[in-house]
Amino acid sequence: MALIEFVLVSVALLGIGIYGLAVKRNAIRMLFAVEIIINAANLNLVAFSRYVDDSGGQTLALFSIAIAAAEVAVGLALVVVAYRMYKDVDIANFRSLRG
Amino acid sequence: MNATPLVILGVLGVAGVILPVLDVARRERFTQAYAAVALGALFISIGYVGYQFVSGMVQPGAIFSTDVLADDAFGGLFAIAMLIVAVFSVTGSISYMRDQKYPAVYYSLILLSAIGMVLVAYSTDLVMLFVAWELMSIPTYVLAGFMKRNPISNEAALKYFLFGAMSSAIIVYGISMVYGLTGTTNISEVIVALTTLDASMMPLAILAIGLFVAGFGFKMGLVPFHMWLPDTYEGAPQPITALLAAATKKAGFAATIRIVVMGMAALHLDWTLALGIIAVMTMTIGNVAAIMQKNLSRMLAYSSIGHAGYILIGLAVAPHSAAGLQGSLYHVLNHAVMKGAAFIAISGVVVALAVTHLDKIRGLGRRMPITALGLTVSLLALAGVPPLNGFWSKLMLFGAALESGSFVWWGPWLAIAAVLNSALSLAYYGWIMRKMYFEGEDAKRVKEPKSVIAVMIFSLLFMVGLGVYPDPVIQFVEMATPTFLLP
Repeated sequence: MALIEFVLVSVALLGIGIYGLAVKRNAIRMLFAVEIIINAANLNLVAFSRYVDDSGGQTLALFSIAIAAAEVAVGLALVVVAYRMYKDVDIANFRSLRG
Repeated sequence: MNATPLVILGVLGVAGVILPVLDVARRERFTQAYAAVALGALFISIGYVGYQFVSGMVQPGAIFSTDVLADDAFGGLFAIAMLIVAVFSVTGSISYMRDQKYPAVYYSLILLSAIGMVLVAYSTDLVMLFVAWELMSIPTYVLAGFMKRNPISNEAALKYFLFGAMSSAIIVYGISMVYGLTGTTNISEVIVALTTLDASMMPLAILAIGLFVAGFGFKMGLVPFHMWLPDTYEGAPQPITALLAAATKKAGFAATIRIVVMGMAALHLDWTLALGIIAVMTMTIGNVAAIMQKNLSRMLAYSSIGHAGYILIGLAVAPHSAAGLQGSLYHVLNHAVMKGAAFIAISGVVVALAVTHLDKIRGLGRRMPITALGLTVSLLALAGVPPLNGFWSKLMLFGAALESGSFVWWGPWLAIAAVLNSALSLAYYGWIMRKMYFEGEDAKRVKEPKSVIAVMIFSLLFMVGLGVYPDPVIQFVEMATPTFLLP
């Protein structure tokens, strides 16, 4: 497969992720959208790494997968605490801070 | 040749890992002991960076290195600013955390986040930068929501997390594009490769730099990426707000100077006007919105957006005036102390009186005289009133903007906008002072938290002392400022 096919898939994933962040107001869906963007970047990194024949990109992809897992663990913990308090995960309803 | 960041990593990392273990092993009732361990580690780190400077073993602002970390004065300046804020945050937390659960985990997370900030400031490789960026961010998401029974703290943390995760996803996408264009992740090699980039690839390079600006801009609170910032700063525990406003924001500037300013110069772009427009929008929106606030934390959050705009002036005029980056670095150091002190003062008010609303702090000058004095002086320094340190860094920044007027027509207008904004900011700072000193005549004195008094005394000495006699800091900043040469 040519490099451009990987890049096109990656750009499509980036578009889906940005759409999700811009339109959805459910905290879990927004978390998904962030994960999709990170995976689009990982796909890019691995494809480019193969293309330029350098292992640095794959190293960064591995780091980024591990860090994304840590980030999601923290994010889901926050969402669970919010759900206990509000019985809802819709961030449009979190309105105690404004001004 | 990169001993300093590794020593800081070792000292803070060991203390940060030991604290929760100690908690499990000993169940210490005397929670100040944990803060003492954290403070000890932070003081050793500051001492080590300071010793490197005093002994002259540090290379002046180098920016580039073939290694993943550069041991240069530029990183050292940011490291000192961030570690001072971490000390403020830990000290201010001693009284704040007295009756809270899990103090060991709390202090350990502050230390781990401090490691991340310091490594961001020193990193010269995009992989290192990304890992350090996440090491800085993830503990602060937890810290912002540390009061987990409090809905406001949780809401602040959730908003901060969603925007922070988005910003790091955007940064990693930007890194992937830069890697695809240049085939390397070392910043100096990236910039060399960008100078010889094929013209057809230019739009992609510009897009990648734009992604970096957006990603770092979320942490720096630049307009239009600032919408999470007031909510988070208001809802998070105030000592953590001090850490966010005064330290993680500076890490964004360190990364921006290392990548964006140098990278855009390599692309031969006329990017200065774009940064100038963002700077004016950021300071104007920050200061105008601050006037309308009724909550002390929220007002200072908007003022913190305004100050990101002032620092950005220096980045915008960097190619046209030598004083540009110098002023930015000087204001980074000063803003860290001023804003850190202001938020720690608010944390003292919250501990003693449990209020942050502007109408409830009437007579604070009589109720908590030392805290009120510290808050007043830091507000005056933030506004840039002459004998204080904030005046000198603002003077340097505005002077750089005027000086760039001989190269770009909008330079003087940048200075005019910044001076008008400073005057505007004095209006709402003055409103706080009026509430504290000229209202509530019958207020009685209450007991002030000792840890907050310690922070106030240190920052008063810093702001007044280095305002009256700024020469040593200016020399330090001159040494740390990178020269505007491509590798």
